[in-house]
Amino acid sequence: MKLELTINGRVHSVEIDPGEMLLDVLRRLGYKSVRRSCNSASCGNCTVLMDGKPILSCTTFAARAMGHNIETVESLSEDGKLHDIQESLLETGGAQCGFCIPGFVLTTKALLEENPEPTEKEIREALNGNLCRCTGYESQIKAVLNITRKRGGHVNE
Amino acid sequence: MLINVKEYFKPTSVQEAFELFNEDRSHSVLLAGGTTVALMKSSTIERIIDLENLGLNSIAENEDSVVAGAMVTIEDFRKNPIVQKHFGNFFFDAFSLVGSWQLRNMATIGGSIAPRLGWSDVTTCLIATGARLIVYDEQGYKNISIDEFNHTPKEKKPLITNIIFPGDGYHYSFKKFSKSTFDIAIINVAVGVKLNDDIIEDTRVVVGSRPQFPTRFSAVEEGIKGLKLDATTASIARNLTFENFEGGSNLKASVEYRQHLASMFVERALLEIREMVL
Ligand SMILES: Cc1cc2nc3c(=O)[nH]c(=O)nc-3n(C[C@H](O)[C@H](O)[C@H](O)COP(=O)(O)OP(=O)(O)OC[C@H]3O[C@@H](n4cnc5c(N)ncnc54)[C@H](O)[C@@H]3O)c2cc1C
Ligand code: FES
Ligand code: FES
Repeated sequence: MKLELTINGRVHSVEIDPGEMLLDVLRRLGYKSVRRSCNSASCGNCTVLMDGKPILSCTTFAARAMGHNIETVESLSEDGKLHDIQESLLETGGAQCGFCIPGFVLTTKALLEENPEPTEKEIREALNGNLCRCTGYESQIKAVLNITRKRGGHVNE
Repeated sequence: MLINVKEYFKPTSVQEAFELFNEDRSHSVLLAGGTTVALMKSSTIERIIDLENLGLNSIAENEDSVVAGAMVTIEDFRKNPIVQKHFGNFFFDAFSLVGSWQLRNMATIGGSIAPRLGWSDVTTCLIATGARLIVYDEQGYKNISIDEFNHTPKEKKPLITNIIFPGDGYHYSFKKFSKSTFDIAIINVAVGVKLNDDIIEDTRVVVGSRPQFPTRFSAVEEGIKGLKLDATTASIARNLTFENFEGGSNLKASVEYRQHLASMFVERALLEIREMVL
């Protein structure tokens, strides 16, 4: 079936299989930041934003995405500069192998849009679906708290 | 990926969705949030009927009830102001323990009841609130209990359109025991209490992931009715839960382990409600 998909503000017209998942279509279109690990809704590596909310592209039918705005991490670095979430992750050591970072960055972006001054508890609650094999999570929590500070907000430590 | 899907429908009315489903049930699946459907390894599913455009994604308040569309996501439900007005922090806190944020942005309330999962935290909470279902089938709309829904044979299963919550002034607490919020519960417990001053006028005690489908423990409910909500009553409830426990063993835990956990959680839930209200 033919599908119109809006990704990072750009409209793509693609041929898909009606049983296909959004993750497969995104990767086919070249959005390789969207990662596949568990392929079963458990690791968060395939996270994308749909209308601003984090969802799992490995478990979302591509056909469902029609009429919605999809955002991947590619949308953050269009001007060649890192987003402050990405920068902050590098500063605290939250990025090691880097495999989990795209999903992590997108979930964080959505969190900070909904709640610019989250508490540590709220950060942990929002990010507990993004698994990371390398960092042990403390540096990532610190990174998010640091962004609030950098943006001039109140840090609820 | 569901490999044999040939058609993807986006009907715009409940009737149309039901008819599409009903004309070929053995090859069709209804799609809500898709978190269960997307992981099915079925080669017989050839038609997906997406419920997104049926207008079932809002929450309304009536005089004495709250009505939620079956397609409301778990996350939207827990953050909804009407839900918070009627249930305080109960759903906000309880549903924060369901999967992850991503999953809650996808999974719906209707899609959580429909597959009759024994371990569903959502279902345990809904039963504790006395929620009923509005369903649609060949005979039109009907208001039925979750129990009636579960006893409908598979070939006759209706489409859930709404969930109705009575606004009857209970106070609630939910307990989940699992390795992480993300994991399936080893046991989950939801307790609702209606108080007259500090006396328990009525109560609903629900235990789920036993591992069987969540059920009310009426022996516990009857045993503490009319008593004062205090530590003694909470410990009576713990003993009654232990003595009347019905459950089983599976890979996750033995029946004895579950019996202990459930008893402790019923006690803690009652103490938490006392702390909250009195
Ligand atoms: C990794 C993972 C972790 C999870 N963790 C938890 C957890 O911690 N706690 C918890 O409670 N649950 C958890 N869930 C379960 C989740 O709540 C279920 O997957 C639930 O079925 C989600 O609903 P959905 O809207 O995605 O349903 P779908 O997958 O779309 O549908 C599920 C089933 O219900 C049918 N259906 C859907 N809507 C209707 C309707 N309106 N009328 C009739 N039939 C319908 C579908 O045809 C299908 O058979 C988890 C799931 C996953 C994959
Ligand atoms: S690949 Fe989608 S959650 Fe792991
Ligand atoms: S940095 Fe390696 S998986 Fe997270």
